[in-house]
Amino acid sequence: MLELADVHTYYGNIRALRGVSLGVSTSEIVTLIGANGAGKTTTLRTILGTVRPRRGTVSFDGHRLDTLATDRIVRLGIAQSPEGRRIFPRMTVLENLELGAFARADRAAIAPDLERVLTLFPRLRERTAQKGGTLSGGEQQMLAIGRALMARPTLLLLDEPSMGLSPILVDTIFQIIRDINRQGTTILLVEQNARMALRVAHRGYVIQTGRIVLQDAAAELLRSDVVRRSYLGEK
Amino acid sequence: MTGPGVRAAALVAALLAYPFVDKALGFQTVHAVSDGMIYVLLALGLNIVVGYAGLLDLGYAAFFAIGAYAMGLLNSPVLGSPLYGHAWSFWLCIWLAAAMSALLGVVIGAPTLRVRGDYLAIITLGFGEIIPVAIRNLGDITVDIGGWRPIERLNLTGGENGVNPIGRPYLPGVPFETDPVPWYFLILIIGAASLWSMNRLRDSRLGRAWMAIREDETAADCTGVNPISTKLLAFALGASFSGFAGSVYAAKLQAITPGAFEFQVSIMLLCMVVLGGAGSLKGVILGGMLITVFDRVVLTQTTFMVRAAGRAAGVAALTTADLTLWRWFFFGLGLVLVMLLRPEGLAGRRLRPVAVGVDDAEDPMVLEPPPPPRAEAIPRWLRDRAPRGAAADPRVPILEVRGVVKQFGGVVALNEVDLLVPHGAIIGLIGPNGAGKTTFFNVVTGLIRPDGGRIALVGASLAGLRPNAIVALGVARTFQSIRLFPQMTVLENVLVGGHCRLAATVAGAVLRPPAVRAEESRARARAHELLAFTGLGDKADELARNLPYGDQRRLEIARALATEPRLLLLDEPTAGMNPRETEALTELIGLLRRELSLSVLLIEHDMEVVMRISDRITVLDYGTRIAEGTPAEIQRHPKVIEAYLGTGGEQDLAARDRSR
Repeated sequence: MLELADVHTYYGNIRALRGVSLGVSTSEIVTLIGANGAGKTTTLRTILGTVRPRRGTVSFDGHRLDTLATDRIVRLGIAQSPEGRRIFPRMTVLENLELGAFARADRAAIAPDLERVLTLFPRLRERTAQKGGTLSGGEQQMLAIGRALMARPTLLLLDEPSMGLSPILVDTIFQIIRDINRQGTTILLVEQNARMALRVAHRGYVIQTGRIVLQDAAAELLRSDVVRRSYLGEK
Repeated sequence: MTGPGVRAAALVAALLAYPFVDKALGFQTVHAVSDGMIYVLLALGLNIVVGYAGLLDLGYAAFFAIGAYAMGLLNSPVLGSPLYGHAWSFWLCIWLAAAMSALLGVVIGAPTLRVRGDYLAIITLGFGEIIPVAIRNLGDITVDIGGWRPIERLNLTGGENGVNPIGRPYLPGVPFETDPVPWYFLILIIGAASLWSMNRLRDSRLGRAWMAIREDETAADCTGVNPISTKLLAFALGASFSGFAGSVYAAKLQAITPGAFEFQVSIMLLCMVVLGGAGSLKGVILGGMLITVFDRVVLTQTTFMVRAAGRAAGVAALTTADLTLWRWFFFGLGLVLVMLLRPEGLAGRRLRPVAVGVDDAEDPMVLEPPPPPRAEAIPRWLRDRAPRGAAADPRVPILEVRGVVKQFGGVVALNEVDLLVPHGAIIGLIGPNGAGKTTFFNVVTGLIRPDGGRIALVGASLAGLRPNAIVALGVARTFQSIRLFPQMTVLENVLVGGHCRLAATVAGAVLRPPAVRAEESRARARAHELLAFTGLGDKADELARNLPYGDQRRLEIARALATEPRLLLLDEPTAGMNPRETEALTELIGLLRRELSLSVLLIEHDMEVVMRISDRITVLDYGTRIAEGTPAEIQRHPKVIEAYLGTGGEQDLAARDRSR
């Protein structure tokens, strides 16, 4: 479904991705784990076209993404919950969620999706009329994920969805990730919480200084020595 | 002599030789260039307000007007000044004019302190319009109170006619009346002295405070920088430079009218700053010189050439063309082009892309963990400060919060919250998202005023204190979403942390007496030690925004430590860190408590961290304290499990314990 082939992305002269190749098949959950600065967020940005690769190709369902404008990429059915939330602070929670559905053609299906998001995050239902910027950090995280879900994407990109959430909500978020995947959404998940990510994912990639250094079934990666020592914090 | 030394000597020689070369070649550009230098001086003053402090001022010409009219009022026969005709009066008046402009800077600055961005720009625009109108109407003042006229036909400004003549400066044997060259040198000296002092101000405690305000006012406030006095100082100093410029301009021109200080002048000055590069002295000089030379020399010369060409070719339209009427067209076009091609200005600090931790060496498969913090690396001076907290009665808690209430609209964010941080303790503050934890931090640090309750630091109430004053008393914090000063270097970020422990004033920062030099070099040495301690020693000169995430978190802690706190508030310090980085940070927090008896209040969602290092934990839910106790008690507390931990979290913790 999604295919990155030998992608090199630069910020000025700094090489952020040095030949990343990865694939996500329909209805999979794939996780990308790695240290801070390894290139995880850059990979997501390259997919969405907010930075452009200098070399290599990104394709999605037969479309070349690396030359397509970001809004067109979103219209192909890719949505993102970005790192650092990036919600619209001066718009209400409800308006934020409605904007998530901005590019959709199936107007009639939006209302039930809104209901679904508000059921997933009861906290957001309590605050629909509140301005996004007045939410707490964790609530903003929920809103960012909810907004991405409102696009009813075929491919959902999640950048650190568990960041800043309480333990009970971290569990809930991963449960939600599993649920929306069962309902047919393909997910590419970037996470610092490698243990949880590998438990929920089918397959995983390990990225280090801009290169994919390991790829395997998630269960295998959980057992791998390298992953355990570098990313799970085990001695 | 070194390369830069040669270049500087060549520049000085060129500046000194220029008027004589001009005379010899008969160019007659000295007048225009001197006027240009006055505008450059004005732009440099504006740069303090816009470039350093980041306050958009659209009415800066008002200060120019005050400077010029102060000179006119004090030193012109038209307005009947008693100073007029005295040999020393010009030299006295330029200082008075600067002082009057600075005073007006404070008067205009004061009401605008609480607004930023668009609102501030609109207010300054208003002042910029008010001043010329006031000058026009203060030429003939009569106060009539029922027939009694205490003031009758007072001419304060010369009204629409302006002021003419104005007393020239007097120096024995120097022909200020007939020759433009002495003016050139006078302005050159004033400009060089201003530049020299601005350069020193920028690299001082005050310059750093301005830039910190520009980068993030809230973070600056919580790092001990008083935003009110800092912004007022920027307004006052920026205005005083334009007071000098205005007074010299008035005396040189010999005549001033209100028309010379209209809105367009403010905009032209702003163009100079933005075109050259806000915040860069070199850039502002370049921008100012380009615009004035273009305006005064290039446009007029080209007009002559076009007319000559028109006459030669017999085109009537060209013989009467006047390119100077197109001045604003060219300014606008130039500005648009610069903004498109070099948005940081001609000589601004180039925005470097965000660096990612990438190098060309072969990568080891297992990542090296960040170096563990070492007790020996704790800076000695920080150790020496440690007893400050201990000197007080250890039975008095560092922080005592009783019954704090805060409402936002109808939402109760904090409901009668009690919390105690004993001396040298680590207290965890946990709770569901939106429970009010960060609001609690904001109340303790003075960012939000509570609706009720009592907050005391070592027994003394913090009620009504500004955030920067609370920092000075010894409370430092970090932010959930990192709030560094992104366009300042790593070292500068830490130096801003030391702001409230330094004392240099404006005069000290410019003149640098031995005490200020010693203070500054001590602050730098300490900042370097703190960076070494937090593992950022080799990154001192990087821009903060270019650091990878984990380093930014550590830099926030280093900046907080630089304020010499007794109580450290950490808001989710390990969010977004991997397990290795988390562990190193946990060690660091423990070390600070062990070695420095630093008290810590910690918001954190990583239960492994909280349970391991907290002495006691307070749990908030919907703004209410639902539990308080030791980590073991909290882990078993049914309400906490229901609202916060969840059963999955418990299993996960158990699983982690097993895997160890």
